Amino acid sequence: MDAATPLLADYRGLPGTWDELFTESGAPRPAFRRAFDALDVHTRAGFAVCQGLAERALLNQGVTFSVYSDQRGTEKIFPFCLVPRIVSAPDWAALERGLVQRVRALELFLADIYDRQRILADGAVPADLVLASKSWFPQLRGVRPVGNVRIHIGGIDLVRDPKGIWRVLEDNLRTPSGVSYVLENRIISKRVIPDVLDAARVEPVDAYPARLAESLRSVSPVDPDETSAVVLTPGPYNSAYFEHSFLARTMGLELVQPADLFTDRDRVFCRTTRGPRPVHVIYRRIDETYLDPEVFRPDSLLGVPGILRAWAKGNVALANAPGNGVADDKAVYPFVPDIIRYYLSEEPLLAQLDTWVCAREDDRRFVLEHLGELVVKAVDEAGGYGMLMGPQATRAEIEDFRKRVQAEPRKYIAQKRLELSTCPTWVEGKGQVEPRRVDLRPYVLNGREGPWVLPGGLTRVALKEGSYVVNSSQGGGSKDTWVQKPEAT
Amino acid sequence: MISRVADHCFWLGRYLERAESTSRVLGVTRNLALDVGLNPRHVWLPVIIVSGEQERYAEAGQGRTDDGERVQDYMTWDDENPSSIVSSLSAARDNARSIREVVSLETWEALNALYLWMGSPRARTDWREDRHAFYRRIRTSMQSLQGIVRGTMLFDDAMHFMLLGTMLERAGQTARILDVHHHAFQALGSHEVIETALWLALLRACSGFEPFMKVHRGRVSPAAVARFLVVDPIFPRSVRFALRAAVSRFERLRPPDQTDLPGARSAARLTALASWVAALDKDFDVAGLHELLTHVVDETAAIAGVIGSELLGYAPGPAAEMSAQ
Repeated sequence: MDAATPLLADYRGLPGTWDELFTESGAPRPAFRRAFDALDVHTRAGFAVCQGLAERALLNQGVTFSVYSDQRGTEKIFPFCLVPRIVSAPDWAALERGLVQRVRALELFLADIYDRQRILADGAVPADLVLASKSWFPQLRGVRPVGNVRIHIGGIDLVRDPKGIWRVLEDNLRTPSGVSYVLENRIISKRVIPDVLDAARVEPVDAYPARLAESLRSVSPVDPDETSAVVLTPGPYNSAYFEHSFLARTMGLELVQPADLFTDRDRVFCRTTRGPRPVHVIYRRIDETYLDPEVFRPDSLLGVPGILRAWAKGNVALANAPGNGVADDKAVYPFVPDIIRYYLSEEPLLAQLDTWVCAREDDRRFVLEHLGELVVKAVDEAGGYGMLMGPQATRAEIEDFRKRVQAEPRKYIAQKRLELSTCPTWVEGKGQVEPRRVDLRPYVLNGREGPWVLPGGLTRVALKEGSYVVNSSQGGGSKDTWVQKPEAT
Repeated sequence: MISRVADHCFWLGRYLERAESTSRVLGVTRNLALDVGLNPRHVWLPVIIVSGEQERYAEAGQGRTDDGERVQDYMTWDDENPSSIVSSLSAARDNARSIREVVSLETWEALNALYLWMGSPRARTDWREDRHAFYRRIRTSMQSLQGIVRGTMLFDDAMHFMLLGTMLERAGQTARILDVHHHAFQALGSHEVIETALWLALLRACSGFEPFMKVHRGRVSPAAVARFLVVDPIFPRSVRFALRAAVSRFERLRPPDQTDLPGARSAARLTALASWVAALDKDFDVAGLHELLTHVVDETAAIAGVIGSELLGYAPGPAAEMSAQ
């Protein structure tokens, strides 16, 4: 095989694993035939050039994230693979319905938990588990956010099992990030492989900032036209600062830091060169526990004192609402299907992963007996940290986790390791494509009009051979996600 | 506009101007040292004084001001020295990076490229092998950057704050450069040929050589040069021109008839200084030059402080008062 070989020639998926673009027999999936033909026009050598172009473009555009460990604040690009992940129109339509259903139910759950807690009284979800969540804030109980929305932006992580069934891996209902890469990746695809994009007939994603701005204005306490909305960032040394600035820029909103805001008689104002200006909607990309030192961390110098009182009075909308973490807690996750049934009287449309909750005695016993086969996750950690991959772990790691689970059972859940689906992925060192495991994070916006799903999403890919971890902090990269338009009938 | 953002714009403008000014002063002083057979101390000490870094330089154990290489190294590469080119550039970039959504993409890319080059081995090589080209590169990059700003950004408050910072910095820099050289020249005693060379070097340091010659048709005298740098109405680096430009930017930010807006004290002091300098045109007296320039330097610094507390959020705001309770 040489550099003149067509890109996808001889591509083989992994045994017992679903591949996003190819069937088990090695043929391209029929829905992607046109895209495949356009992609396979490229030789390996030609594609290597395209991949190089894409990487340079990302660096020049400054699409970077900061690396915490580096004192000088080094900025790196999020590795990008130009081979797209494609989702067929019927697949997407089903996903979209499932995502809307899930976000509606979680929204009702949060409204109930921070109000009368009917679901706990009825015993549909165990109260001890929910109220033991580190993200349950009793001091916020009774607050009704303006516009009646709490999950303004949701990022729902999905994976695909060996049968091709989508399963929810986790919900991100606090400050889900990554959407800027979705938009930037598409710009790169358009520039570097326009022929393939055209052949695949793909839904555009560039309406996202406008939809987000509209959705934020829809929950304003004042008339949308009179609304002053801002994006709140911790500052330029935050790892996601590029995205904060990107979203502010593309929505035409001002990017503010906590010190730019202050409250006066339970209203929020921004310090401007023309004096204080009222603020009505805040898209906050700052952790809720740093939002208001009056409520969460009296010792903290960060945050805007009094902002939660202004929110509780309905004078300002905070997106997302503080306190959402109780609904995306990994120990609450196993009960989301029950939550959907309870509030919507519908069967869940999206499958999940079988999960053992270590807080429950039977589950814990099973987990401790099968540590070597399971994936154990800390309920309050993200980014691939605080995790045991049983099948790949050493004895010492397993014993370490046994102690941790016994010491703090509420902190852990366990799942079977899923054979995540793969997608053909460019491997720099070998100059060819090979199967690598992927997940998908679609974004759901929620305003007064109800949920809307961006037709696309962030596909993260585990670039290391054999790896199951797609997080950027653990050697993951991203791909452009192409949702095909429905066939005209 | 948000006060913190305005503050970043203001300082971005100031640091860009400062980096340009420092590179120009170093380049010209180096030429001067080659041209006239002066004691190196008389040539290089003013550079340190102009930057206001005399004390720090002495503390850094680098008290020797007769060593041009040391002075240049300190004023170019020392990141502890807030006036060095590398510090000014990195501060300008930090300010721009904090307001990426305000600064145009082209401005950011050009500034970032210059910053990355400054940190690369290539820059060190150029510095060693072709000092003249090194300073010229910094200067022309900063000038291009000022052009990119004007050619790609909205002429809105962000731009006005940047240019307000640039112009205040420029007025102060020109006044400082003139004052320090004027002092040094007097100390020399009179030697007409050397003196003329020094005044010409001073003009070059302010990019004023050709404009001066156009206006004065080749007749160089200390009084004419000093007057040109202070009160010429159309030379863009004269104190008068820079202050007038600062006033006009300020009036866009705070129209004089809108007296309810913050900034009354800044407006009054800035306008007063600009009018005072303009009025010097009538009977310009080179004998009182030092007092005059000292007033300009002190007053521009004070005005920047007042602008800071009135518009840029330096004064403790209501939030700070609340948390202090």
